[in-house]
Amino acid sequence: MAQSGIKVAAECVTAYEELKSKKAFRFILFKISDDGKEIVVDETGKEDDWDVFREKLISSKSKDKRGKEGVGARYAVYDFHHTSGEGIVQEKPGLLSWIPDDAGVFVKMTYAGSKEALKMALPGLAADIQASATEDLEYEGSVRPKVFKRL
Amino acid sequence: MAVPNANTAPLSEYAGDEVSALVLDPGWSTTRAGFAGEDAPKSVIPTHYGVSSSDSRLFFGENAIHSPQANLQIKNPWSADGIVEDWDTAAKLWEYSITSRLTGPKPTHPEKNGLNDDPNGEAMELDAQEEVEKPLTENPLLMTEPGWNPVKAREKYIEIAMEDWGVPAYWLGRSGVLAAFAAGKASALVVDVGANITSVTPVVDGIMMKKGVQKSPLAGNFVSNQIRAMFKQNQVPLTPHYMVSSKTAVDAGAPSQATYKKFETAPPASYRRLQEERVLTEFKESVVQCWTGPGKLSNGTNEEIAKSQPPRPFEMPDGWNQVFGLDRFKVTEGLFDETAALEDDENAKPTKAQTIPAMIQAALNQVDVDQRPHLLNNVVVTGASSFLPGFNDRLNAELQGMYPSPRIRLSAPGNTIERKYASWIGGSILGSLGSFHQMWISKKEYDEHGANIVEKRCK
Repeated sequence: MAQSGIKVAAECVTAYEELKSKKAFRFILFKISDDGKEIVVDETGKEDDWDVFREKLISSKSKDKRGKEGVGARYAVYDFHHTSGEGIVQEKPGLLSWIPDDAGVFVKMTYAGSKEALKMALPGLAADIQASATEDLEYEGSVRPKVFKRL
Repeated sequence: MAVPNANTAPLSEYAGDEVSALVLDPGWSTTRAGFAGEDAPKSVIPTHYGVSSSDSRLFFGENAIHSPQANLQIKNPWSADGIVEDWDTAAKLWEYSITSRLTGPKPTHPEKNGLNDDPNGEAMELDAQEEVEKPLTENPLLMTEPGWNPVKAREKYIEIAMEDWGVPAYWLGRSGVLAAFAAGKASALVVDVGANITSVTPVVDGIMMKKGVQKSPLAGNFVSNQIRAMFKQNQVPLTPHYMVSSKTAVDAGAPSQATYKKFETAPPASYRRLQEERVLTEFKESVVQCWTGPGKLSNGTNEEIAKSQPPRPFEMPDGWNQVFGLDRFKVTEGLFDETAALEDDENAKPTKAQTIPAMIQAALNQVDVDQRPHLLNNVVVTGASSFLPGFNDRLNAELQGMYPSPRIRLSAPGNTIERKYASWIGGSILGSLGSFHQMWISKKEYDEHGANIVEKRCK
């Protein structure tokens, strides 16, 4: 349990298992439900293009405690792929939390204070990336070096 | 992680949804209290209090401690180390911060409130033999604590809340973790520049790395004392407001021509010191500046550059005034460079380990090597003294100098309220969440497990 007491809905684990074992998706976006009780699946995607995923994070919206919509935060699992010079493909799912600095303090607090719950519910994550500015979402410049550390 | 085991799992969850929780964030300079869910603490009172030297009565709150009294000693319940020292007074002061502005005092006992007086003059029979009602029996209470709070102190917090105040449910949060969360970070290096203490707290995956927590007295009060030392060197008269009856304008550097108030018995030295501190706060807000780097103020031509910046004027409450040039940089330099700290018989030179850059280094050294670049990329700056102009730029420059390769990123809310009250706001949001009800330690659980339950449930 994370300090917020927010729980993880079973559908999050199911979606993650489908991504991992069946490669059903390339990414899953999670959000805190509007009633604030649990983390749920917001959206899944199969697009290979990092920018599609990145754009979804940047344009996400979240509600503050009064129900007003503003700059959003999300958690995501992304199936990172890397092909070495010899043509060996590596695939590993990693967790990414997107809590932008310009989100409201309510959104920041609830997402930061609940992240552990999701991380603990999804076994076998290969990376944990904390992104708070758009530069943290640059694939080559920021994300890839954190996921594929020794490549 | 606060995973309740079979022994401490909530027996009956406290239904915190119906009543707003209270959030109490006690600091050395101010004590902040308010209702969970609100954007800022409604009750912010000075932590200094007055005690009458004739009858030992206690005085709390802004109005009570700022009017000059011949026999009012000013004290503070915290020790210089940032741990509560005088528990009895701290408990009373904290209670006052809540009851004076938020919940109101407890009602007078029905026997004595006049409503039940028998017109025939005979006292009415009431069920009056009940226990005296405790002051905070309505609302659950979330408190914050410094990262170095010893187990004994943590237990004392919950004892006061449960036994003296009668709260129905309680939770204790580490202020560093709350500040990190409020900045949107589950992992961060929290640099909290307070009045009495500057601390550096590594937070990884929402957990405070206790071994890495650093603290030092190089904080707001240290800067005040540096200003005092500088004033002494330059013969600047430090005259608090209460001493001045009226003033007239004088030329810069000329002696004041004010008329001073006459006191039959002057208020005690502790009172004068607190009032001087208010003048020093004005001085900090309007004159003082951190050298922004790169490099120390004493490096190369940095002093020359600082000198070439326009000096700032300051007027004492008695009209004495002067402009301050290089000195306005010098009084903060000791935060970063121990060799630059002003020294006199009241101010010992700090050690290198006490400087903010050295504390950050020490904190990081206690953290897994893989985590360090990540934490350097997520430095959260909080605490009222971090508002010293140039502070963040300097901190950034120092970090770049020490850690050239990873990307350094400081995050400091520009919003004053969010930076000053980061931990309170974090607690306010947590305590207002419907999902949080399972985190509370209920009265029943406390009764069953004792004060040590905070160790299990509030990690």
